[in-house]
Amino acid sequence: MDKVGVFVCTGCEIKDAVKIDELEEAANEQNAAAFVTHECLCEPGGIAQIQKSIDDDGIDGVVIAACSHRMKQKEFTFDPTKVVVERVCLREQVAWSKKPDDEDTQMLAVDLLQMGLARIGKVKLSEPIKEEISDTVLVVGGGLTGLTAAKAAVDLGHPAVIIEKEDQLGGYLNDCKDVIPEHPPYDTVAANPIGQLIKDVQANEQIKVFTGARIIATKGQPGQFDVELQNGGAAQSVKVGAIVQATGARPYDASKLTHLGYGMSPNVITSHDLEKMITAGELICPGNGQIPNRIVFIQCAGSRDENHLKYCSSECCGTTLKQVASINRDFSDIECAVIYKDMRTPGQLEHFYQGVQESTHGMLTRGEVDKVEAHNNGAHVHLKDSLLGEDVTIETDLVVLAVGMVPNSADGHAIRELNDAKLRIIKNESETQVADATKLVESLKHHEGTEILNLDYRQGPDLPILKYDFPDSHYICFPYETRRTGIYAAGALHAPMDTPQAIEDAYGAVMKAVQCIESNARGEAVHPRAGDQSIADFFLQRCTQCKRCTEECPFGTLNEDAKGTPEYNTLRCRRCGICLGACPERIISFPEYTVDAVASMIKAFEVPEEEDEKPRIMAFLCENDALPALDEAAAKRIQWNPWIRIVPVRCLGAVNTVWIADSLSRGIDGIVLVGCKRGDDYQCHYIQGSELANTRMGNVQETLERLTLESERVKIVELARDEFHRVPQVLDEFAETIDECGPNPYKGF
Amino acid sequence: MASNVLISSTSFREALAKKGGVTAARCYQCATCSSVCELAPEGLPFPRRQMINAQWGLADKVAADPAVWLCHQCNDCTVRCPRDAKPGDVMQTIRALAVENLSTPKFLGKLVGAAGSTWPLLIGLPFVFWIAFIYAVNGFTVPEAPLAWHDFVPHWMIYAVYIPVTLWVVIAILVSGSRYWNLMGQGVTRSGSFVGNLIPAIKEILAHKRFSDCEAARPRKTGHLLFLWGFIGAAITTALIIVAMYGFKTPLPLPQTHWMKWIGNFSALLLLFGGLMLLANRMKGGQSAGASTAFDTFFLFVAFMVGLTGILTEGGRLAFPPQIAAWMYVAHLSFILCLFATFPYCKFAHMVYRTLAMVHERMTGVASR
Repeated sequence: MDKVGVFVCTGCEIKDAVKIDELEEAANEQNAAAFVTHECLCEPGGIAQIQKSIDDDGIDGVVIAACSHRMKQKEFTFDPTKVVVERVCLREQVAWSKKPDDEDTQMLAVDLLQMGLARIGKVKLSEPIKEEISDTVLVVGGGLTGLTAAKAAVDLGHPAVIIEKEDQLGGYLNDCKDVIPEHPPYDTVAANPIGQLIKDVQANEQIKVFTGARIIATKGQPGQFDVELQNGGAAQSVKVGAIVQATGARPYDASKLTHLGYGMSPNVITSHDLEKMITAGELICPGNGQIPNRIVFIQCAGSRDENHLKYCSSECCGTTLKQVASINRDFSDIECAVIYKDMRTPGQLEHFYQGVQESTHGMLTRGEVDKVEAHNNGAHVHLKDSLLGEDVTIETDLVVLAVGMVPNSADGHAIRELNDAKLRIIKNESETQVADATKLVESLKHHEGTEILNLDYRQGPDLPILKYDFPDSHYICFPYETRRTGIYAAGALHAPMDTPQAIEDAYGAVMKAVQCIESNARGEAVHPRAGDQSIADFFLQRCTQCKRCTEECPFGTLNEDAKGTPEYNTLRCRRCGICLGACPERIISFPEYTVDAVASMIKAFEVPEEEDEKPRIMAFLCENDALPALDEAAAKRIQWNPWIRIVPVRCLGAVNTVWIADSLSRGIDGIVLVGCKRGDDYQCHYIQGSELANTRMGNVQETLERLTLESERVKIVELARDEFHRVPQVLDEFAETIDECGPNPYKGF
Repeated sequence: MASNVLISSTSFREALAKKGGVTAARCYQCATCSSVCELAPEGLPFPRRQMINAQWGLADKVAADPAVWLCHQCNDCTVRCPRDAKPGDVMQTIRALAVENLSTPKFLGKLVGAAGSTWPLLIGLPFVFWIAFIYAVNGFTVPEAPLAWHDFVPHWMIYAVYIPVTLWVVIAILVSGSRYWNLMGQGVTRSGSFVGNLIPAIKEILAHKRFSDCEAARPRKTGHLLFLWGFIGAAITTALIIVAMYGFKTPLPLPQTHWMKWIGNFSALLLLFGGLMLLANRMKGGQSAGASTAFDTFFLFVAFMVGLTGILTEGGRLAFPPQIAAWMYVAHLSFILCLFATFPYCKFAHMVYRTLAMVHERMTGVASR
């Protein structure tokens, strides 16, 4: 920015901790056009002074040296088309967490101001985007979740389109008579709501339904998805703003459960088979057509089992209880015995469980099923480790296996790998390449034709799947989100769940979809940088088509042209800056977050000479969790080492390795990156940022070795939002390590 | 261990549920009950296992189980049960079912077992019988005061009724008791003599040692003790009078100051007070009592009425006009008949089964409390 003003707040203990006149000197050295102090800058008087400077003196860069940038955001917002605001944190990082009126504290305050001034000199005003946005929500899947979602979207003022692959709406519930209780007192089965729901949806003019349809292609980006679908031969196209995928789940393949007798006798069936019989009102043993006297239910059939489904599907216990209750009501002479590993009835279902438990026609007991054998017309179920304390055998006419859920997801990554391998075979560049590709095609063949969304994305035609094939996300931090902006997973596709949960899930996902459409309409990013109007800039003349950005973007924002040059889709972008961190040519920037701006912060302050014995440490802190944790530590007046200079970053993935090199070459003694947890239980707000930063820092370690620098000088730390007490620990320990390493030998070069 | 093919019985579970043991289904076998039970011997912890047996409907296992009768329904388990499965009530229900199932003949067991609805019949029949009998013998002619009961109902009439009934009851209880004794003995080795172990067991019962270990049901101990001693006193009085009548030719009625009268009166008071305490405890409900079913209250009521009508008969003979006092005597005779006749089939039978279980416990060496 051209004309920068510095506004220093002296309240909140700041003026006791630092000498304000020294800050003024530093500002003047940097040619600040104005230097204003106020004892409470965030109150209307303070704001008015800033506004006056903007209006009267033509200030276009406002440096506010006060509290953390996370505080008072509303107060310190000025016309974004005219003014850039830079926040220098004198309260949390200086006044509240350092010794007052100390030499090191003073140096820190001056350095932070200089860093802020350096950065504001490098950033630009953002130009908001305004695009034509469709406000329609597309719901893929017309089961309970999908229908609920479509209705919810209309209730929120958005038209909906449902695409269902079967010829009729309803999904799994079409096979059911009752559902588990949804309302107090939760002690008896509820009537299946699907019939009424289908009628409601069909009668709703705002909902367009395509049955017997599949998606041929989903092109474009959130707000502007162009969905081509085939519906009985005729191809059609709909424009939608966001997508809720509710393609549900299917029962686990029971033919793999031979140890539980499936396939051995026709009188061993799945809970799904039983459900159909209950609905039909004719409950018989398929083997001999007789009405069974006793049914044994085996819970966790193939679930929580290393060799089958490793997870708990969470609804099978409820479903079995429901079936026992339905059987008690409809066929009262049949005795039901339920064998479970653990009866899992979360929440209100516990009441239902107790109700069923006390019905004399049902017996529920814990036990491990050893094997199931055919016996006369029925079966013998052998239990070991039963509660009777001995091995027992139960004679029964019918065995029902309560099998778990497998999501109807398509593995986008695998399909893409398969397609890439096929392309390599066609290209036929070398024999070994073709051989490898052929092998890959063979191993991924089963993914062929499983596409659901058919996304026109470089990173694959469907949602990337995470743990256990569910396209889930961290359920507390980022519910309903997937790794594709504007596409949200709901229902049993999202995680194993029962009917009340699926209904709730549908509402949640629709709200996310509506949020996305409305943010897009305002030209703003969605969570977690909600409200951000900036977009990335690619200086493509210098692009080497290395494809790191297109590969590493966690949200598939970038497509590629034939040569591999990235094609940016603004509305898919979450503004995390992971591409900026990835680019070796450093051609990607955001108006307010550029490689150069951060580099200039690193270069803005003076690094003391070796003999001063004042080491300097750069800390790159993720703004999502690490920085709030740091602010909280400061609010609790926890102190940490004053040698550390903190730069907030959008994500650890948005740290370009050149900043490490810049720091080391300036003589800075150590660099620490603090961000969110990575791995299967990641808490990274951009899913892969921490993971990527870790890989990249691995490469940095090699560079350190080459330069004969200690590898301890660069470190990555994972920190959760609630671990504020660890912040000083992490920083102080690192400062100690650096002190032990001694000064950076490149100091002064 | 070889698997045994188990076929659980729905009918047992249904019967249990009908008699108030439906909560057995709630049990998830945490064994809190067995660990808090002060009465469970180390070698035979209960009632956890009885709960699972009941849940599975394993009627045979339940029937042969000595622990069922070793339980005194302290209800410490019910108080502590985290699942509100009420093991104390379940055990009581199992006992009620056991009395019914072991009874000889079965139909009487069923009839008394259903006292909740059959009580008018069970109490009414003895009344009808005595009225009819007296009418047939002397046309229900009440003699003038001063009243001597043998003028109204001669002794031979008493003998003609109670001797056969007592014989019958003894046979019935012997058959049922030995059936239970054999069931308990299956697959276990007993050592020592029956009588040798019966004596210490009876001593223990007379002192009510186990009741004092109970926590939740401690208020019941005194009532139960008084009640028991009242019965014993009444039995002793009866025996003494028979001996006096035939051995020493003592004329009846005895004067009010006679020492035998005093024993009788004292026993009746014990019976009344004990009975009142137990009834009050049941009416108050709550955890110390457990759920009250007809199984409990029928026996308690009849036994209490025996005591009450006894006192009324004794006092009424002198205080009331003969016409009224005679009816009190008829009521007394009828309640005694009711109590005697239902002995093997109502809660009264616990006296026999519990004693047997305690002897069995001693003979199998699990009684290492």
